[in-house]
Amino acid sequence: MASVTGLSNPRAYLLDNRRFVGIMFLLPALVYILLLVGFPFLLAIAFGFSDVTVGNTDLSFVGFRNYEAVWENNIFRQVFGNTVMFTLVSQFFILIFANILAIIFTQEFTGKWFARFIFILPWATPVSLAAIGWLYMFDTKLSPVDYLLLQTGFLGPDGVWGPGRNLLWLARPALSQVSVIFVQVWRMTPLATVILMAGLSSIPTDILDQAEVDGSRFMRTLLQIKLPLILPIMVIALLFSMITMFGDMTVVYLLTRGGPIDYTRILGLYSFQIGIEGGNLAQGAAMALFAFPLLLALAIVMLRVASRAEVR
Amino acid sequence: MGAIFMSLVELRGIKKYFDKVRAVDGVDLEIDEGEFLVILGPSGCGKTTLMRMIAGLENPTAGQVFIGGADVTALPPRKRGVSMVFQSYALYPHMNVFNNIAFPLKAQRREKKFDRRAIRGKVVDTARLLEIDMLLDRRPRQLSGGQRQRVAIARAMVTQPAVILLDEPLSNLDAKLRANARDELKEFQRSSNITAVFVTHDQIEAMGLGDRIVVMSDGKIQQVGTPQLIYDDPANEFVATFLGSPSMNILRADAWSFGFRPENFLPKTLADNPENSRIFDYYVKRVEYLGSDRLVYGYIRGRDSELTLAKVPSNVRVSLDVDSDYEFAVHNSDIKFFDRVSGQRIEHQDLGGVV
Repeated sequence: MASVTGLSNPRAYLLDNRRFVGIMFLLPALVYILLLVGFPFLLAIAFGFSDVTVGNTDLSFVGFRNYEAVWENNIFRQVFGNTVMFTLVSQFFILIFANILAIIFTQEFTGKWFARFIFILPWATPVSLAAIGWLYMFDTKLSPVDYLLLQTGFLGPDGVWGPGRNLLWLARPALSQVSVIFVQVWRMTPLATVILMAGLSSIPTDILDQAEVDGSRFMRTLLQIKLPLILPIMVIALLFSMITMFGDMTVVYLLTRGGPIDYTRILGLYSFQIGIEGGNLAQGAAMALFAFPLLLALAIVMLRVASRAEVR
Repeated sequence: MGAIFMSLVELRGIKKYFDKVRAVDGVDLEIDEGEFLVILGPSGCGKTTLMRMIAGLENPTAGQVFIGGADVTALPPRKRGVSMVFQSYALYPHMNVFNNIAFPLKAQRREKKFDRRAIRGKVVDTARLLEIDMLLDRRPRQLSGGQRQRVAIARAMVTQPAVILLDEPLSNLDAKLRANARDELKEFQRSSNITAVFVTHDQIEAMGLGDRIVVMSDGKIQQVGTPQLIYDDPANEFVATFLGSPSMNILRADAWSFGFRPENFLPKTLADNPENSRIFDYYVKRVEYLGSDRLVYGYIRGRDSELTLAKVPSNVRVSLDVDSDYEFAVHNSDIKFFDRVSGQRIEHQDLGGVV
């Protein structure tokens, strides 16, 4: 029998239920977070308070013993310092380069598409491949960089950095740190740039046209209009980049394994070496967890700054 | 030779093509000092592009822009002595009202030698003039639409520009506020005697504000003149039908068409000069009561396919019944004739054989 509305089937289906559909949409993300983030995280906490090793997988509670051991470990202190230093220094350069590049790439010029494509490559390349590439660039004997320096007279018997024919990029304490930071900056700058570009192109053209009619020149527009307006997104970019950097171990693992001595050893790498390679799961977990409160606090502070700087 | 009176802004042969699109297609225009000039046209007619070329935000494909007698075609906006109010107001969202108004002064402080105290003085004076001096510490998002518009105008005025360009600045205000803002804007322009170029698609704004109106369509100027001239004496069919609400009735003959405005099409009993009027047999199909007017839909007998409207004031006591015939009259001088091909106005034609 036809109803007044002319609809033959006035029943509500399950997919008409907004609540149900909402949960369905969230489900994949929830599963991902619970299985691949939540579970390992809880496991790490459990490991950190136990005496579990690769050889003995019985979990027995040992309180804060692992954390005490880690804290008294001098190498750990240096590793922690390295991690903070590498993160801060590389972020400093990433921020500067990303800003400059984002401004260049939001201008109009011929070949922009190609330039953007080339530029995004470091980020699109798998870290391991990129690190192996750089391993070759920094090679003790075969380094093309050294070769260029030799040809231009910076290296060699009469060079300012001579008399050696090689700089030994990854073998000297300070230079190895510079090399690692350089690769991190090279690899992380594109992402930050893309985020900043999105921020810059979200500034309404009216605002920029207005600034131009108001008589503002390039630097004033940049410092007083563009940068303040992209500040929130800049903070987010910085946060992403810092968290990635802080937890990363691939680059140093492939380039230096933490050496020479401990100069390029960072938290992610060290906890991997202790926990997995050394078999002391409990201490490795405790070590990795040291970063957690720090990053959590960082994230809270930066997100708060970002939302405060948000003006629209 | 030598013009004794030089207009403040002069556009000569301005064209702007975006690839194949002819946004502005050959515009010559002179704007006099102290004038309130309105550029009126439907969206996409090139009016905003034309204004952006006066501001220097867009470079013309061809032609020249003169301001104060100097060729500024190649100069950037900051060297033209113009200021602008955008449709969105484009207030800097991260600056308070004071800093918004002060921004152009600070940006031009070196050229114009403003010191800090002079800037403060100018900002406060301008804000007081626009009655926003109590809002100087607020951020744009804390302001109402009307207040934002005033801040944008204050920012445009504070440098005492030769010309102020306004791009549909009233269209973001709600209808009630708009009439008020229109009145204030006109009053403000008159008292400060600034030259204003105002772009709009709203004919009521244009008629109400403009000393002169430039009607644009398809990148070309259709007519320039006082509001009255443009309304009563349109140069072509486009201008005739674009202005007026509802728009002019147009009826086709072979080589030409003729038109008359709905408000000039009245029952014969109301015509004040029937002997100089053209009388039509009018069939009334439907009547809308609009309060102050009655809008009558119908057609002239013999021209049943052409909907013809009449606008009859409500205060005249004449009964108009639906589905009835009446005699309606239009004064001869209110009938305009247009060439069917070019759309241009032509002289009076003999209507004898047509209706």
